Amino acid sequence: MTPRVVLRLGLVVVAVLVAQLTVGLDLRIAGAHPDLMLALPIVAGLTGGPRLGAVVGFAAGLAADLFVPTPFGLGALVGCLAGFTAGRVSGYEAEHGTWVMTPVVALFWSAAATMLYAVLGAVLGQQQVLKVDLGVVVAVVAFCNAAVSLPLRALVNWSLDRRSSPWHAELVTGDRP
Amino acid sequence: MAPSPRRSRRTLITVVVLVLVSITLITFDERSGTHSLTSGIRSVAHDVFSPVVAGVNDILRPVGDLFAGAVHYGALQSENQKLQRTIGQLRQQLAERPSQARELRELTALEHLPFLDNLPTVTAQTTEISVSNFEGDITIDKGRSDGVDLGMPVVGAGGLVGQVTFASHHSAIVQLITDGQSAVGVTFGSKESFSILDGQGAGNPLTAQFIAAHTRLVRGETMVTSGLSGGQFPSGIPVATVFSSHATLGATFEAVTARPIANLDQLAYVDVVQWEPAP
Repeated sequence: MTPRVVLRLGLVVVAVLVAQLTVGLDLRIAGAHPDLMLALPIVAGLTGGPRLGAVVGFAAGLAADLFVPTPFGLGALVGCLAGFTAGRVSGYEAEHGTWVMTPVVALFWSAAATMLYAVLGAVLGQQQVLKVDLGVVVAVVAFCNAAVSLPLRALVNWSLDRRSSPWHAELVTGDRP
Repeated sequence: MAPSPRRSRRTLITVVVLVLVSITLITFDERSGTHSLTSGIRSVAHDVFSPVVAGVNDILRPVGDLFAGAVHYGALQSENQKLQRTIGQLRQQLAERPSQARELRELTALEHLPFLDNLPTVTAQTTEISVSNFEGDITIDKGRSDGVDLGMPVVGAGGLVGQVTFASHHSAIVQLITDGQSAVGVTFGSKESFSILDGQGAGNPLTAQFIAAHTRLVRGETMVTSGLSGGQFPSGIPVATVFSSHATLGATFEAVTARPIANLDQLAYVDVVQWEPAP
C-alpha cells in the first residue's frame, strides 16, 4: 500500500465514523441502527482482498471502540475477522457480478459479525448484550449495511485509486469486467 | 487466479498479528491497572470528535428530522396527543404541589436522608443516544471541565435516568437504568422494603430483585433510590413504578417488573447531580 492509499483509507475510516455517529445513529429502526463501521471492512475485504479487509476492519473497529463502553479492542477483533473472511469470497465476484455480490455479502457477513460481537461480548461478561433483541439488531444492521455497501464500495475504490475498478466499469460503461 | 502461497502466508501473518493485538487491547481494558490508559485514549477521542460530530449534526439534523417526521407521522401525532394529556395532568399536580413538597421535606429530614434539592446539578444536553446497538446509554455535552464525573447520578423527565460511566473533558456517557448492566438499589412502600432494579435492555421493563414472595405491592407504586450505605445513588430519587408482580407456588421471591418514571425516549436535556458515590 502506498502512503497515498493509506492516507485515503484513513480519511475514509474517519468519514465513515463521523457518518456513523451522526446520520447512522439517527436512522433507527425498532431501536437499532446500522453499523457502518462493520460494513466498511466487509466491503474493503471484497474490494481489496482478505489482507486489506483485515487491516481496515481492525482500524475501523478500533475507531468505533473509542465511542462505545464495551471492552476496547472487541470491535477491532470482530472487524478484523469480518474483513478477512469477506475478502476470502472476493474471487467469486467475477462470476456473479459486483452489483449483486456486494450487497449479498454485506448482508450475510454483517449478520454473522453482529452475532459474533454479541457472543464475544457475553463471553467477556457484558451482560447487556444478552438483554437486547438480538434478532432485531442483526436484521437492522444486516439490511442497512447491505443498502450502503455499494456507495461504500465506491469510497474504498477511490481510496485504492482504482479508476478501472469493477464499480467504475459497470457504472460508467455498463460493461461487466 | 489463486493468490501465491507467499502472499497467502503474509495475509495470514497480518491477520494473526491483528487478532493478537486486539486480544491484548481487550485484556488491557479489562484489567483495572491498565484500564486508565484505554480510558485516557477514549477521553481524547471524545474531546477531538465531539465538536466535529456536533457540527455535522447541526447541518444534517434538520434533513434527518424531515425524513423522520415523514416516516413517523402517525407516531408523532399520537405522541402529541399524549403530551397534551400530560400537560393537563401536570397543571393539576402543580396546584397540589406545595403541600406535597413540604411533606416530603419533613419526611426526609426525619429520616436524615440527603435531599436532592440541596445537591448541586449541572444541566446537560443529550448529543447522542446509544452509540452501540448493545448498550443503553446517552452521550451528554458536559464533562469533567463542567464538574461532571464518574458515578454521578443523572436525573431528568421526572425521575432517575442513569449514572455517568465515562467522562472526558467536554462530554460524558450516561448508562441508562434500562441498560442490561444497570442495577439500582431502591426502597418502596413503608420504606422497610428494599430491592434492586435491574435493567433489561432498552424498551423492556426493569425487574426488581429480592422482594420476598407475597409482599404486598400496588401497581403504580413508586420505587425511589434507597441511598443505603455504600449505595451508588443518593436517597429519594424516584426511579420506577411497579408494573406487575406475581409469585409462583413455592417461590422465595416475587417476580416484579417496573417501568421507569423518566421517559427515556425523550431525553433532550438532563441534570447531572453532583453527588459522588462512596468509594
